[in-house]
Amino acid sequence: MSKEYEIFARNPERVLSGREVVVTLRDLSPGRRKYRGINVRAVVSRPPRPGEPTLWIRSVVGLRDPQPCSVRIVEELPEAFEAVPYSDFFEAMERAERR
Amino acid sequence: MAHGNMRSFLAAIESTRDLITIDDEVDWDQELSGIGRLGCERNAPSFLFKHIKDYPGWRIACNPIATWRRMAIAFGLRPEAPVPELYATYAEREQHLIAPVKVKDSPCKEVVIPGDKVNLFDLPVPMVHEGDGGRYLGTWDLVVSKDAKTDWVNWGMYRFMVHNERLLTGFPRPTSHLGKMLLDGYVPQGKPMPIAIAIGCDPLCHLAAAATFRISGNESELAGGLRRAPVELVKCETSDLYVPAEAEIVIEADVYPDRVNQEGPYGEYPGYRSGEMGNAICARVRAITHRRDPILTLDTTGFMDSSATTTSISGAIAIQRRLEANSIPVKAVYVPPEGGVHLAIVSVRKGGADIARKVVETLTVRRALISKVIVVDEDVDVFNMAAVLHAFATKCHPANGIHVTRYVGRANTLTPAYTQEERVTRTGASVAFDATWPPDWAKDATPVRATLDSMYSPDIQRRVLARWKALGL
Repeated sequence: MSKEYEIFARNPERVLSGREVVVTLRDLSPGRRKYRGINVRAVVSRPPRPGEPTLWIRSVVGLRDPQPCSVRIVEELPEAFEAVPYSDFFEAMERAERR
Repeated sequence: MAHGNMRSFLAAIESTRDLITIDDEVDWDQELSGIGRLGCERNAPSFLFKHIKDYPGWRIACNPIATWRRMAIAFGLRPEAPVPELYATYAEREQHLIAPVKVKDSPCKEVVIPGDKVNLFDLPVPMVHEGDGGRYLGTWDLVVSKDAKTDWVNWGMYRFMVHNERLLTGFPRPTSHLGKMLLDGYVPQGKPMPIAIAIGCDPLCHLAAAATFRISGNESELAGGLRRAPVELVKCETSDLYVPAEAEIVIEADVYPDRVNQEGPYGEYPGYRSGEMGNAICARVRAITHRRDPILTLDTTGFMDSSATTTSISGAIAIQRRLEANSIPVKAVYVPPEGGVHLAIVSVRKGGADIARKVVETLTVRRALISKVIVVDEDVDVFNMAAVLHAFATKCHPANGIHVTRYVGRANTLTPAYTQEERVTRTGASVAFDATWPPDWAKDATPVRATLDSMYSPDIQRRVLARWKALGL
């Protein structure tokens, strides 16, 4: 079975821009580690590109967009983003993206 | 007698058929929580899952006191005790706080896993709802934290999500006591804040943690009062925090003062997943301790989850105390479970617009969890929702009986009615529906309720009730 991930996006257009973006992937591989999070710099493609892991995009209320994407991980990032607690997580990701 | 730990409580609710044990293997990925969810929606017994897929040796207990029957058993009362009796029990016991005692040994230390060996995926953390941001560990927990400048120790019930083997993200709201401790004390100093997440304590400890309690108050004393016996506490492995010694599992962690990560979205107690994700805290686990055969506890949050009883009862009593302290002539308060802890019914000895306005303003001074208050006259039984709805529908003036108060920075970010922008800025409003008669109306011109107890003489009432009884009705 090919690898699958999901992400939660406030702004799907940013994720689907075709450029490198910072996102938190949830690994959907079955087993004990299912839903493990990983912060990455990646390129998301829709329609999915052959050979790349499948990516599903969920909205901020958790609804899954039925159209699949694929993701190419460029770089794994540290497990947390620099920001004061309760800061906006999506803005913290965008700041990390600009670095 | 209340119960010394969760296991004796589970035995008690099993003996009254308020617990169903499931021996078949059940999947931690949505299946067992789906069973628990339906249980909440159907007022069903609690569930103990004995075989969890991928996690042999672990058990999960679901929704320990999500019904009034189980709440009554937790208090040591008969299961049939009516809701007003439970309210009265809570109100009486919370007046007699009992300090905890410290002990050296604890069953929750039978297995000690140091930080470098910690793997949160070794715990059967459920995926509670399809579409949640991740697996939630803290749904029925008790999170201990200590103020950076004083001796104030807080217990709260806050949700925590597993990010990876050692990282948790959580959503104690910024207006919560933990949030206040973190933002006022640790963040300015750039210091990590130790916390301990205790899971599977006796249910009254969790009730105390979930309770609306005063700032600087120690909920372990409230738990002692509710139990009518002191809580035994044991020291954590990696900090000076103390946790209930009878806990099943304890997760010790440091909250970062300068890191965030994804948390949520999550299907929450108001009965919705509202998209409040993105404003949370981030904690690194430093140790896990647990019993040799641990039971993880789960609240399948959503409509009619455990908050339907816990926050209902503690929130209502807290509202009553606050209104009394502000000289409002309150008689009784009820937070109906069906209202998702967003609705309170307040009966007052003297009504009118000024009182209704004062009620809603008083209840939203620091943080505003309740967004709707129905104020009724004292002759309306707040626990009788038919009577309340009748009063609301008929006595609340559709133009003049609605009193709105607006606020910024202290709104409930879990209120489904708010926009995403309102959530971010914690902007919101609360409303009082004045279902009382205006005090300046002459008594001889005030409408008379057309019910047996109001529109008939005591003599006729007696005769009707006697006839009723004779008819076997």
